[in-house]
Parts: sequence; C-alpha cells; structure tokens
Amino acid sequence: MRLFNRATLLSLLFAVSALLLAGCGQSESNSSGGANAVAAKKPKSTYTIGMSQCNLGEPWRVEMNAQIKAAADKHPNLQVVFKDAQNDTLKQRAHVEEFVSAGVDLILISPKEAQPLTEPVAKAMDAGIPVIVLDRAVLGDKYTCFIGADNKKIGHAAGEWIVKKLGGKGKVVELKGLMTSIPGQDRNSGFRDAIAGTAIEVIFDADMKWLEPNARQEMESALARFNKIDCVYAHNDPGAHGAYLAAKAAGREKEMIFVGIDALPQEGVAYVQQGILDATFQYPTGGAEAIDAALKILQGQTVPKKIVLGSRVFDKETVAQGGRPLE
Amino acid sequence: MENRKPSRISLSGLWSIPATRALVALLFVFLLGWIFNAQGAFFKVGTHRDALRQASVYGILACGMTLVIMSGGIDLAVGSVLALIAVAFSLMTIHWGWSPWVSLPLSLGAGLVCGAVSGLVTASWGIQPFIATLAMMVFARGLAKTMSGGMKISTAVKNPDGTYRYVDVPAMFRFVDSRVLHGHLAVVTVIFLLCAAAGWVLLSRHCLGRYLYAIGGNEEAARLSGVPVKRTKVLAYSASGLMAAVAGICQAAQEQQGDPEAGAGYELTAIAIVVIGGTTLSGGRGGMGLTLLGTLTIGYLDKILSINAVPEASRLMLTGAIIIVAVLAQRRRKS
Repeated sequence: MRLFNRATLLSLLFAVSALLLAGCGQSESNSSGGANAVAAKKPKSTYTIGMSQCNLGEPWRVEMNAQIKAAADKHPNLQVVFKDAQNDTLKQRAHVEEFVSAGVDLILISPKEAQPLTEPVAKAMDAGIPVIVLDRAVLGDKYTCFIGADNKKIGHAAGEWIVKKLGGKGKVVELKGLMTSIPGQDRNSGFRDAIAGTAIEVIFDADMKWLEPNARQEMESALARFNKIDCVYAHNDPGAHGAYLAAKAAGREKEMIFVGIDALPQEGVAYVQQGILDATFQYPTGGAEAIDAALKILQGQTVPKKIVLGSRVFDKETVAQGGRPLE
Repeated sequence: MENRKPSRISLSGLWSIPATRALVALLFVFLLGWIFNAQGAFFKVGTHRDALRQASVYGILACGMTLVIMSGGIDLAVGSVLALIAVAFSLMTIHWGWSPWVSLPLSLGAGLVCGAVSGLVTASWGIQPFIATLAMMVFARGLAKTMSGGMKISTAVKNPDGTYRYVDVPAMFRFVDSRVLHGHLAVVTVIFLLCAAAGWVLLSRHCLGRYLYAIGGNEEAARLSGVPVKRTKVLAYSASGLMAAVAGICQAAQEQQGDPEAGAGYELTAIAIVVIGGTTLSGGRGGMGLTLLGTLTIGYLDKILSINAVPEASRLMLTGAIIIVAVLAQRRRKS
C-alpha cells in the first residue's frame, strides 16, 4: 500500500511540475527582455491593469482613482483592478508583488515613497510587465513611464499670481503642508523663488500638515500677532479653507486674499466659486493620461519616459470656464 | 490621598493633592506664555479665546476618556467615532436637509451605541479594552469612509449629472461655531465646560463615581462588594462614545464639513490630557476637575508654541518632554 501511495504521489508531482514548466515556458516566450523595450505581445481581447494606490484616505487620490476608472470605462477592453495600500509601504510592496504573480498586463502605481517601491517596480519590469509610475517617482529609471505634475512649478505659479495680485508688495502668511514630504518642500521652494526680490514678505509660516483644523489654529495665531495680513498662501485647499474660517471668525476675511492648491472640483474649485478662495491651482492627478499611455503601451507603441502634466489656475475670472492653463 | 486631616496646611500636604500638581503644571505653562508672549500676542483676549476653542474638542473627548481610564480601561476608538459622527451629522443636516432636532439626537445616539458596543465587548466577553476599542477604532473609521465615499461631506452637493450645487451652511453648524459673551468665548468651549460639569456631577453625586473608582482600584474586590461591574463599564464606554459624538458634531461645525479622516490621533491627545491632569492609567484615581486642568495645560502649551511659530520638530519634542515631566510629577508619593 505504501509503495502504491508513494508512486501515485510521485507521478502527481511529475504531472504538476510538467504543467508548471509548460506554463512558464509559454509566458517566457511571450514576455520581453529589456526593461524599457515595449513587449511585442499578441493583441488580446481584454487587458488587465493593476492599479496600486498608496492611500485612499486622501480625497485627491480618491479623485485619481475615479479619473482612472472613468477613462478606463471608455475602453471595454480594459479591466482595472484597484488596490489600496492604506498608506502602508509594505502593503503596497505586497500589492505590486501580487500583481506580478497574477500576471497582469500593465501596472499603474502611485507609490507612497521612492526607495522601498523601487525594487518591486524593477522586478515587475523584469517579469515583462510595463509599469507606469504616477505622481511620486521611484528611484533610478527601471520603469516604463512617469506621469506627474511639477509641484515646484505650481508653487512658483502661485507666487507669481500673488505678486501680480498684490502689486509686488504685501505681507503673506504661508501655511505649509507636511514639510517632510516632497510636495510640501516643492510648493514652498517654488513659492519662495517667485517672491524673491519683490517686496512680498512672509511674516508667519507654520506646518499645518495638510490638515484643515491645524491650519485654522495656526491662522488664529497669525491673526493674534499681526494687525495687517494681505494674503494667505496655503499648500492645499483644506488649509486655505481653515485659514478663511479663522479669518471670518475674527471678522477679517475681507482684509486678505486666500490662495490654495489642488483644485478638486468639489473642494478648491467650489471654494473659488463660492468666493471663499481667491485662487486655487490644480494639482492634476493624471488619471486620464495614465490610461492613454497604458493603451499606447499595450498596443505596442512607445511613450515618453516622463510626462509632466500641466496645471490650471482657477480664480474669480476664470473659474466659470474651467480655469486657465498655466504656461 | 491624604487619610488624616493635617493640623496645619503644610506644603507637602498640599503637594500630595493631585489638583495642586495639575494646577502647578498649568501655572508653569502660563509662565512660559508670559515670557514667550510673541510680541504681546499672549496677552490678547482673542488668544485665550482661541486657545480654549482649539482645546475644546480634545477636552470633550478627555471627559469621556476620564471615566473609562478611571475604571482601569482605555478607549482608543474616540477619534474614529468622532469622524463617523461628523460624517453622519453632516450627511443628515447638509446633504439630506434634516432638521437638527432629528439629526442631533440620532448622531448622539449613534456615538452612544458605538461606545456601548465597545463596553459590551470588553465587559461581557472579557476582551481587553485595548483590543476591543482598537477593533472599534478600525471599524468606525471604515464605516465613516464607506458612508462618505472617501470624500468630505461639505456644502458642495453632487447632482446626479455630476455637477455640483452649493447649499448654505446649516444654522446649527453656524451656531456651534459662533461665539458668546461679546465674542470672547467660543460656543464649543461652553459645550466642553458643560460636558465637564456633567461628568463632575456624575462622578461626585452619583454612585457611578464610587463604582468607577472601585472597579479601577481592584475589580475583583469591587465585584465581591456588590458593585455592578459589567453595567458600570458599559456605562463608562457609552459615555465615552457619547462624548466622541459631541466632539464630532463640534468638529463638523468648525470645519463646515464632515471629514471621514477627522480625529486621527485625537485619542492619544485625549489620553495625554487625562494623564497630565492626574488620572492614572492604572485606574482608581482621578476626576473631572483634573481633566479640566489637563485640557487647559495642553491647550495653552499648543497655543504658546503656535504664536511663537516654533518649528514642527521642536514642538513634537517639547510636547513629549512635557508629558513625561508632568506624569513624573503626578506619581503617587509613598507617605
């Protein structure tokens, strides 16, 4: 009996291994070699795209996924699988590895941070899966395409808009996003570059960590210290909104202008339309551009290594027409 | 605690009263404000009104947390329940246009239920409060995100065709975010003081106070003495959930929106306030007056750091150091 069992076991093992090897062999002949070379795949009826989002706790990222879904819905041959890493780097790493073993046709990833996600992305490229990186870059160049906006340029544009609006001089309160994050640093440095050499002075700045209640607290402190404030520049729209509420409670909201960044339709753009903010600068998610690039890649075309998204400014004059594009 | 009346007021006698130590901590913070007054900003009435305003939501949470900690437990869910009720209240009042007479009781009731569930799980099934409330923390956050679709519930309401229409900020929201006493006191501060007063009455006049102390001191002895342990615990956690709901409503009014991400980390601040006030984490000792002092201490410390535009990293280190110093000073002395 024991011999019979062992024989059955061994033959089962042989059969399974043979199937596995055959399967591997097939996928190897389909996959491409180099990291950046576009795979010469047979056109398929449906393509599966894996989308790894770092944190759906942020409304901006909810918007990104919504834009990706809306763009993908227009193409019945695309099926997108969404995974949310809930701001956990190791979880996001695991998601990328899951997509690789599931053998998706393309990966979209908006990484939480660069270093820990660089290798999983590289491994996906080695497995022949093209990877489009969104919003935050990974290190090196082992990916197919990067699509993102330029926070420094947006901060600079905000600074230029403020300089123009205030006539070159004035006192500004800067409410900063998390300054240990690249977007916070870029929106700060771009702004400071734009106002350098003018008579615009930053009299008070604080790190409100992208959060509205924190922005309100910091603005209250600024209002207590300074009798005249000309402008509040917040790194995101919730921050600008919190500052507005603080100024309104103090009866001083007409004294100053409020500028934010992000321009989500139900948030920043709505605030400009309601007269709460004077301007907001769009930080585009790139969802539609990602699907466009994905389609090109899947059909065997080449795409640029880096696509920098443009931005739009929404202010009182331009909000009705959907904002004005920045140069 | 002193168990004999001192024949004269001695310094060591005074120092052994927890309220004295909490008061000294608060006075120390005031002294810091006096010295580092940011070009006179610390002396303005508006600064004090705002310091109290920003401390009020934490203070409301701390009121409920005091009861739970006194019973020897902990409630990690208050931040998430805050967000859940902020979302629910905003949905009902802004998007669905319900009267506040309906949405307020429903929201408060929902918070109470969340707290009661935590209390039942820990009291009836014997699961440790840390774990039970951790589970509620995660669940309530998930529920808040589901109900809101991950977006803030604001005055921008989405039409079926995808465009947005704007509704007015409801009167209830405006009222909670307004000021009284010639603009010198925020309504949320009044709400906080009312919660603290209600808690104080509950602890000092009602047998609940004695039961909580007993359970926190020695649960088995309390049970053997006839204290209704299970019921008292459920009541303590329910009160904490109710306070989280009140805080959620205040938060929503102050932001003019219901944010499913609100209150993240607030439970830790509430615990810090309770501990700095003098209620020990091991239970059996504490009170609402101490929590009030702790709220003022943390609130004013935040304000002084803010008006002086102290950089973020330094703020974190200073706050951490002060928590340790305050707790060390609160340690029960061996008489």
